[in-house]
Amino acid sequence: MTKTITIDPVTRLEGHGKITLELDKRGEVKTAHFHVTQVRGFEKFSEGRLFYEMPALMARICGICPVSHLIASAKACEAIMAVEIPHTAAQLRRMMNLAQMVQSHALSFFYLSSPDLLLGMDSEPTARHIFGVAASYPELGRAGIGLRRFGQHIIELLGEKRIHPGWIVPGGVTEPLSAEKRDEILKMIPEALAAVQLAIKSYKEITYRFEDEIAHFANFPSMFLGLINEDESVEFTDGALRLIDANGNVVADGITAKKFTEVMGEAVEPYSYTKFVYYKAFGYPEGCFRVGPLARLNIVKSMSTPLADAELRQFKQLENGPVRSSFHYHHARLIEMLHGVEKIEMILSDPLILDKHVRATAGVNRLEGAGQAEAPRGTLVHNYKVDENGKMTWANLMVATGLNNNAMNQGVLQAARFFVKDGKLSDGILNRIEAVIRTFDPCLSCSTHAFGKMPLLIELMDEDGLKVDEVRR
Amino acid sequence: MAEHLKCLVLACGNPLRGDDGVGILLARFVEEWAAERRSDVKVIARMQWTPELAEDIAAAESVIFIDCAIDVAAGSIHVREVESGADAPPATHHLQPYELLAMTRDLFNRTPKRAMLFTVGAASVEMGEGLSAEVEAALPEARFKLEKALESCVD
Repeated sequence: MTKTITIDPVTRLEGHGKITLELDKRGEVKTAHFHVTQVRGFEKFSEGRLFYEMPALMARICGICPVSHLIASAKACEAIMAVEIPHTAAQLRRMMNLAQMVQSHALSFFYLSSPDLLLGMDSEPTARHIFGVAASYPELGRAGIGLRRFGQHIIELLGEKRIHPGWIVPGGVTEPLSAEKRDEILKMIPEALAAVQLAIKSYKEITYRFEDEIAHFANFPSMFLGLINEDESVEFTDGALRLIDANGNVVADGITAKKFTEVMGEAVEPYSYTKFVYYKAFGYPEGCFRVGPLARLNIVKSMSTPLADAELRQFKQLENGPVRSSFHYHHARLIEMLHGVEKIEMILSDPLILDKHVRATAGVNRLEGAGQAEAPRGTLVHNYKVDENGKMTWANLMVATGLNNNAMNQGVLQAARFFVKDGKLSDGILNRIEAVIRTFDPCLSCSTHAFGKMPLLIELMDEDGLKVDEVRR
Repeated sequence: MAEHLKCLVLACGNPLRGDDGVGILLARFVEEWAAERRSDVKVIARMQWTPELAEDIAAAESVIFIDCAIDVAAGSIHVREVESGADAPPATHHLQPYELLAMTRDLFNRTPKRAMLFTVGAASVEMGEGLSAEVEAALPEARFKLEKALESCVD
């Protein structure tokens, strides 16, 4: 008799998803799928809207990474307008994107994953949450909420709102930075630096406990994609994309947003509403790749900030060539937070940062435009078509979770095959399978704001689809 | 962390969900009340209470949580003392007052001397702007009782 195990919902993720494992007659895992079960419909209902409304509309996709959507969308609009935004506007956008990256990575690392890392994958599930971390590791708990506040407060100072700020618009930003706000941000830097350095130190001290997880959490050769600057340093807002293979060789370089849609395809699988993005030249699924912190650090030669550069040098010693284990997404995330804090301080020292010229204006000069940015969890591309009056006729979004979709599914299968033995399950095993997905920090639909209190339901089904067992927690 | 604030008011609600917006409305009232009296009151209004607020709570001598309630009669006003919860559940996007107090205790090794939950019974929290007739009618009483609660914290 074969069995299907369903983990629904997967907890401590941004959004709603479920995992199914199909076991063969011997109790070995035959297939594994990560299902994204929501339909959002943003691409469809934006049709008919005026293109310059798109950034504010698209930001509503997500409550955690709205800034990335604002930037990718605004850049797509600027391609339609055929304008180059002022230097100061570009710097201010970059700062807001970094602030968002810091607060989102802090949420992922401290709130969602640190219970597994600090309390243990097999620890009591009723205590395996941020409250358990706060009780046992208060200093790290304070660092986590401090970094969240750091990022959120910068977003609020720049955009007036912590979530869904309307400050980033086609052509630049709506308001320049004041000296008072600049100084307020600078005052927060030392505490944020100390918090992230504490997290990095603590993380390095505990990774020896996770040999099996490092070996079997989506640890396989793959391509990696991310933004990079001309000097081969990390980039989140501008630059162009580079695709490397599992050995670090450059497969494609200088991929602009416009070129992205020419070289990348989207596949559909019947078990998920999220698309599977792949490099067309290699076909599907061979052309799939990974994005996000692990990919970005594998691609770049430098973080462009001194403390993060020192950490990057150590990170690159983890493996001979690109780091393949997705467990190391956690480590990469921490290094990116360090870079974010350092880089924000550098941006604020730009002599033009208080300049008042922060917005370019124009009408419709092209009927199609694309924009790209790095969201905390990976590359994000918006592509729009408009009519002569600027009304949207078509939109296509390629988001990080779609770009990582194939790798997440491969990773769940790899982990399930190693940890599930003879069809036997335990809470610790199921938690590990969920934790594979958490390493990628996918953003399924965080605008629902409805996770965290849902029960975990595991169902065992026989080959006729009849439920033979059920476990809840 | 040393306390440096007499009273922190944490209001919760969504004005696009009918009576759920009453917390945000009362937060504006508190801001005006505190500005007139130059009282040492800080107001934070959010759609959810999240863990980051623990740091603000740790700095306050007293805290008043304002929210709507769906398990009481529409328009009824309830004020009660709150203590930190012993067993907090694993939510991270939105916390209850007792959970926030527990997190403050664990992270900062202190809680406010006084914590109150001030609620207004909701008739509807469905999509839509504006308050129900029941909650609208209860606003004068809500402001009166909230003022009393504030005075007990700052005087």
